[in-house]
Amino acid sequence: MIQLTCSRLSSYRIVTVTCPWGRALLLLLLTGGLSVQAQGIDQTHKKIESAQQSMPLLPTSELPAQAVESSMSTAKQKPNFFNKTVNWFRTKELPGDLQIHGFASQGYITTSDNDVFGNSDNGGSFGLTEAGLNVSVRPLPKLQLSAQVLSRRAGKGNSGMPRLDYAILDYQLYSYDANQYGIRIGRLKNPFGFYNETRDVAHTRPSILLPQSIYFDRTRNLGLSGDSVQLYGETAIGNLGTFSTQFGVWWPIVSDRDTEVSLIAPGPSGHLKREASYIGRGIFETNDKRLRLGISGIWLNTSYDPQGAIDPIRAGSLQFTPIYFSAQYNAERWSITSEYALRHFKYGHTFGDTMLLNKADFFGESYYVQGEYRFTPKWEAFIRYDVLYTDRSDRSGKEFAAEMLAQHKLEIAPHSRFAKDITVGLRWNVTPEFMLRAEYHRVNGTGWLSRLDNTPAEGPTSQHWDLYAIQASYRF
Amino acid sequence: MIPTFLRYFSFSIKVLICCLLSASLSFINTDTWASDQYDIVIYPGVGEKEISLNSLRSIFSMRQKTWPDGAKIRVFVLADDDELHQSVSKEILNVFPYQLRSMWDRLVFSGTGQAPIKVNSIDEMLVKVASTPGAIGYLWRAKINDTVNVLQIK
Repeated sequence: MIQLTCSRLSSYRIVTVTCPWGRALLLLLLTGGLSVQAQGIDQTHKKIESAQQSMPLLPTSELPAQAVESSMSTAKQKPNFFNKTVNWFRTKELPGDLQIHGFASQGYITTSDNDVFGNSDNGGSFGLTEAGLNVSVRPLPKLQLSAQVLSRRAGKGNSGMPRLDYAILDYQLYSYDANQYGIRIGRLKNPFGFYNETRDVAHTRPSILLPQSIYFDRTRNLGLSGDSVQLYGETAIGNLGTFSTQFGVWWPIVSDRDTEVSLIAPGPSGHLKREASYIGRGIFETNDKRLRLGISGIWLNTSYDPQGAIDPIRAGSLQFTPIYFSAQYNAERWSITSEYALRHFKYGHTFGDTMLLNKADFFGESYYVQGEYRFTPKWEAFIRYDVLYTDRSDRSGKEFAAEMLAQHKLEIAPHSRFAKDITVGLRWNVTPEFMLRAEYHRVNGTGWLSRLDNTPAEGPTSQHWDLYAIQASYRF
Repeated sequence: MIPTFLRYFSFSIKVLICCLLSASLSFINTDTWASDQYDIVIYPGVGEKEISLNSLRSIFSMRQKTWPDGAKIRVFVLADDDELHQSVSKEILNVFPYQLRSMWDRLVFSGTGQAPIKVNSIDEMLVKVASTPGAIGYLWRAKINDTVNVLQIK
């Protein structure tokens, strides 16, 4: 009851405080201003180029034609050491077809209330930094080795400490025409949904924050990659398209604070143990890649190891078996994407039931619908509606809150059990390598907020809140 | 609210299927026009004379990694906004350049594949395909000479 009044009060507060709107407007103006400036630079470049191209038409008897040509080519190539190095990598024949790629992104996030990746509701935060570097090599025609190191600084859940993201041995066992079958061993990215495997690479995402209902950032280390053996295959289905699949056994990475707090309870002193789990995905794509349909499933097993006899949380096990349906349609100018997830949680051995802040067996439900539009190859916009219900049989969270209050004298905000997020955003591909973007989220509920970044000590969370983000990203 | 959403969703699926069918019809006679302007070219040491369209798509999607004789395939491409690259991807492979780019990005950043090798000009494409074992690329007809072989699409 107290919680309810609190959240209602804070929702009134949002209406009266206009400061975040002003801040967002400022951010958008800033990016807009930058873009105008850069376009100006582009135009002057073009003017110089066109002036040079018209030069040979003038009577330049004293000037050898070759000299004109060489001056043109140096004007086109920017005398930039970094670009030269990258270009050298791209064009140089390296032994064993060695390739090196990487990315780096910096985001700025500000919220009206609640914290996302740092103290974002108090002046904004540069708390989201992502960088990665990968190497791949093909020593034999059918053998590829690849590895990526990733650093992610995002709130209290990710310190920026570099970690081994993937290290894969990939051998193609059979290849005929468009049919390919093979095996991958090592630390693999988990194949689920359309975006999970490359979720840290800004260029491959539709937005700064992926739809959180499906791609939770707070349990990301669990979902991102694991030690795994997977079989994969791709086969042509007549002239309709291709069906590709990958599946295997994996040992998830659960030794991560944010994951433990999200899955069990605040402040567990023991740790989650990894157990053999299973994952698989199938994607059908038409030959023109216009229609893409996917289904993925995870069978995750983990158990809790209490810290001796004093741990208030007893031994327990968790079975998490979500299923994901994905669909996308791509036209030249626009794309529509939608994904739906039904997430089954089953807790066993009760964790000494008093501390467990979840029911023993329940289904979560999530979906989003997203439209993207490409005005030009450089400018894109998107709009998305994203919904999460922690428990689909209690969408408002009120039953859960009442139960917690009655049984454990714990006050839980009902709005922490769902989140509905409307997002609009703009993306500007300045060059093929460099990208800027901005987005605005209007969120009702705190279902996917990180509990590490929003501890009870910082006061209650707000049900209705706004999030503004801008991001710059470079990849090569 | 949810049933309305689902109804809308199933309707949009129907619309998508209609779009897909009409799109596939409209693409039927583009291939003949395409081959008048440019060709798929390969390193002369590659034994192949012709290739199926499915296989060609698989190669440019960076999925098929070896020629039928077991040799490594090395794919060369021009920049995403290059006119020839756009023609080849739209008219022969029947995909938009942004889709190729996102396919390659998915492979590179998930560690399950490699990106094609980018060349900066048509001249460089000719030199690279002529000199790199297992190479495949594309060239304007006017630029093709006997240092590379043309690969016919079945």
